Amino acid sequence: MNRREFLECAALLIGGVSASQMGITLTVEQQRHMASSPNYIDRKMSYFNAAQRATLAMLTETVIPRTESPGAIDAGVPRFVELMVFEWLNEQERNLFVDGFDALMAQVQRDHQQPFEALAEKTRVSILEDLESAASDSSWYSFGEIPVYVSDAPFICQLKELTIWGFFTSEVGGTQVLRYEAMPMKFDGHQKLRDDDSSWVSVLI
Amino acid sequence: MSVTTQYDFDAIVVGSGITGGWAAKELTEKGLKVLVLERGRELRHGADYTGEHAPDWKLPFQGKPPRELYAEEYPVQSTSYAFGEATRHFFVNDKQNPYQTEKPFNWIRTDVVGGRSLVWGRQTYRWSQQDFAANQRDGHGIPWPIGYDDIAPWYSYVEKFIGVSGEKLGLAELPDSEFLPPMGMHKIEETIRGRLKRKAPDVNLTIGRTAVLTQNHNGRAACHYCGPCHRGCSTGSYFSSQSATLPAATATGNMTLRPNSVVEKLVLDSETGKVSEVRVIDSQTGERLRFRSRLVFLCASTVGSTQLLLNSGSEAFPNGLANRSGALGRYLMDHVHGIASMGIFLDDMDSYWHGNRPNGTYIPRFRNLPGQEDQNDFVRGYGIQGNVVRMNWKVNYHRKGFGANLKDSLRKPGPWVWAMVAFAECLPDKRNHLYLHPNKRDRFGIPQVVFDAQWRENEYKLWEDAVGQSERILRAAGAVLNLKQHESDSPVGGAVHEMGTARMGNDPTEAVLNAHNQAHDVPNLFVTDGACMTSASCVNPSLTYMALTARACDYAVKQMQAGVL
Repeated sequence: MNRREFLECAALLIGGVSASQMGITLTVEQQRHMASSPNYIDRKMSYFNAAQRATLAMLTETVIPRTESPGAIDAGVPRFVELMVFEWLNEQERNLFVDGFDALMAQVQRDHQQPFEALAEKTRVSILEDLESAASDSSWYSFGEIPVYVSDAPFICQLKELTIWGFFTSEVGGTQVLRYEAMPMKFDGHQKLRDDDSSWVSVLI
Repeated sequence: MSVTTQYDFDAIVVGSGITGGWAAKELTEKGLKVLVLERGRELRHGADYTGEHAPDWKLPFQGKPPRELYAEEYPVQSTSYAFGEATRHFFVNDKQNPYQTEKPFNWIRTDVVGGRSLVWGRQTYRWSQQDFAANQRDGHGIPWPIGYDDIAPWYSYVEKFIGVSGEKLGLAELPDSEFLPPMGMHKIEETIRGRLKRKAPDVNLTIGRTAVLTQNHNGRAACHYCGPCHRGCSTGSYFSSQSATLPAATATGNMTLRPNSVVEKLVLDSETGKVSEVRVIDSQTGERLRFRSRLVFLCASTVGSTQLLLNSGSEAFPNGLANRSGALGRYLMDHVHGIASMGIFLDDMDSYWHGNRPNGTYIPRFRNLPGQEDQNDFVRGYGIQGNVVRMNWKVNYHRKGFGANLKDSLRKPGPWVWAMVAFAECLPDKRNHLYLHPNKRDRFGIPQVVFDAQWRENEYKLWEDAVGQSERILRAAGAVLNLKQHESDSPVGGAVHEMGTARMGNDPTEAVLNAHNQAHDVPNLFVTDGACMTSASCVNPSLTYMALTARACDYAVKQMQAGVL
C-alpha cells in the first residue's frame, strides 16, 4: 500500500467524517514520504565489478536459495549487500569483508579453475560450510544480547548477516516469504497458525 | 474574556506537548486568548509523519541503524525504543543541544510541535489514594497537597476526551478509568492469566490501559493496528497534542501557536510580584521577542520548565524564580525500569495473531499494598508491563547453516517469549537534583542543565524484589525456560518519566507550587508538567500530568473571573 492508498483508506474508515475535517489531506509533500519513496535497494550505486557481482549474487543465493518461494537474488539481496558494505559498514568491517571476499574468489579459482557461481550447489554449500567451520569461534555465533553488528565478525558471518537481513527486510522477502499487511484494521490474538505459515514482518520488535 | 491593552495575550503556555496541548485547549475553550510557545519546529498532523507505514524495505539500510550518525549526533536520543530512521525527525539532535551530567542521565527530547506526546508509550493509569498518601505515611518527601478525590473528576474529564481503552478491575491500587472497550489478548496471555489466577492469586494480569482508540471517538478513528504508533498516526488513533488537544484549541479561534520559540526567561514585575513578560528567542532568525500576558503556564517538560525558572532569577528570587523554598531543581525522580524477567513458553504454539497490537499487558502493583506496608525492608512498589511475541528470524539468525533449511527455519515463528518490564517507584530525594552550569551555555546563550541524580537504596531494593517476584510469576505462569534476563542498568531518565524539581505542597517554605499548581510566591505562574510532582508512584505519569493541567486551568480561570488574578 502506498501513501496515497493509505490516506484514502484512512479517510474511508472514519466513516461520516470527511478527510479534510480530520486533517487528512494529501499534499505534494506527502508524495515524498518514505512509504511512497523507492525501495532502499533501488538506490543508484556501483562499487563491485561485474565479476564480483556475479560471485556475490551466487554467494547470497547459496545462503538463501530460491525454493518454492523466491530466493536472495529474486529479492535483490546482492544489491543490498553491496550497498551495505560500502555505505553502512565502517572501514574496518569493510576491509574484513572485501579481503575475505577477494580471498574466497581467489581460492575458489585456484581449487576449481572456475568461479564460485559456476560450481554445483553442493560444492558451493560445502565451501561455505568450511568457511563457517573455520569461523565458529567468532562471537557472532554467541547466544545472548543481539548486537547491531559484530565488528570483528569474519567474512562468512558478515555475508550471512547481510544476506539474511537483506532478504527478510526486502519487499520480496517480506511479502512473498514472510507475511505483511500495512493496515490490518483489527487485532486478533487467536489467529490459527498452520504448520507451514510464515511469521509476520515484525514491526514491534 | 478580552485582551486588555496591558497584555498581548490572556495567557502564555510554554510548550505544546502533552500538558501544553491540554493547557491550550482548556484555556482557549474558556475564552482566553492564548499564545503557545514551542521551541521545536512546526510539524503538521498527518502530513509530516514521514515515517508512517514505511515498511523495512523503504527505510534507509532496510532498518539497520546508521551507527556513526547516532553515536556522533544522537547518542542519548538513540537509546529510546521510539527512535529510528522513521522517527528521527521528531527528536532533538544531541550534539546541537548539549547538557552536562555529574552522573549518567538520559534526557530524551523532541524538537517539534506536539513534543513527546507524539512518541509517548500511551500507557494510561490513574494514581491511587495510596500513591497520594505515600509521602505522608512513610516520611519521604513532603505530603501531597491533594488526594485522590481531588483529582478523580479530572481524571474522568481527561479520559473522556483522550479515549482510553482498558478493562475494569475494581482495584483500589489501580482505580479504573473511563474506558473504551479493551484490546484483545493473545491466547498465550489468557493462558498465563488463567495460571496466575490459580498459582499466584495475589497478582492481577490485565490488558494494558492505553490512549489508543478501540472505536471511533471524538472524530478520531479507531486504531488500524499497523503497530509503531510513535511514527505518528494520520488517523489520530492514539492521543497526542497533534491529534486532539491542539486541533480543539485551534477550533476556538483563540490560539496563536508559535513554533521555533525558545523561551529564555520570565521577567518578574517586582511591584505586582507577577510574571510580566516572557522573553523568547526565535531559533531560526535569532530575533529576540517579548510577550506579555495575564497568566503564564509552564508546560515545557519537567527539566525544561525548571531550567527556565532557574534561569529567571531576580533580586527577589536570586536562586530562581518562585524558589523561596530552595526546592526548585531538587527531588528529581524517574522510574527504575527494565526487563525484570523474560521467559519462554511452549503453550499455544498453534496460535498466532493478526494485527499489530500497540499495547501489552499490565500487572498492577501488588507489593506493600495497604495492610502489607511493614512486611518488606523497602517502601513503595512497582508495576510490571508485559509483552509477548513469538521469536522470529530477527532474534535468532546468528546461527550455523545454509540453504533451504536455514531459510525455512528462519521464516517461521518460534516459541513465545514473555518479557516482563518492571517500573518501580523512585523516592523524592533532595540530593537528586539538576542545576544550571555556571559557564557552559547552549547555542541560544542559555545556561546548560547539569544532572546529578542516581538510584539509591530503596530503588535498588525495589528492583531486586521485582526481579525475584517476576521469577516467581514466570514459574507460576508456566514458562519452560527463564532466560535470566535482568536489565537494570538504565540510568535516571531512562524511563522518560522524569518528574519533580518544582514540587507541589502546602508549605511555601518547602514547595514551589501550591495545591493548584500555582507558584506559591508568583500568583500568575502555573507549572503543570512533570516538574510539579511531589512523589512518583510507579504508574506511567502522563495521565496525571494531564488531569493536573486541566484542573489548574479551571482554577486559574476562576481566579481571573473572581478578579484575583
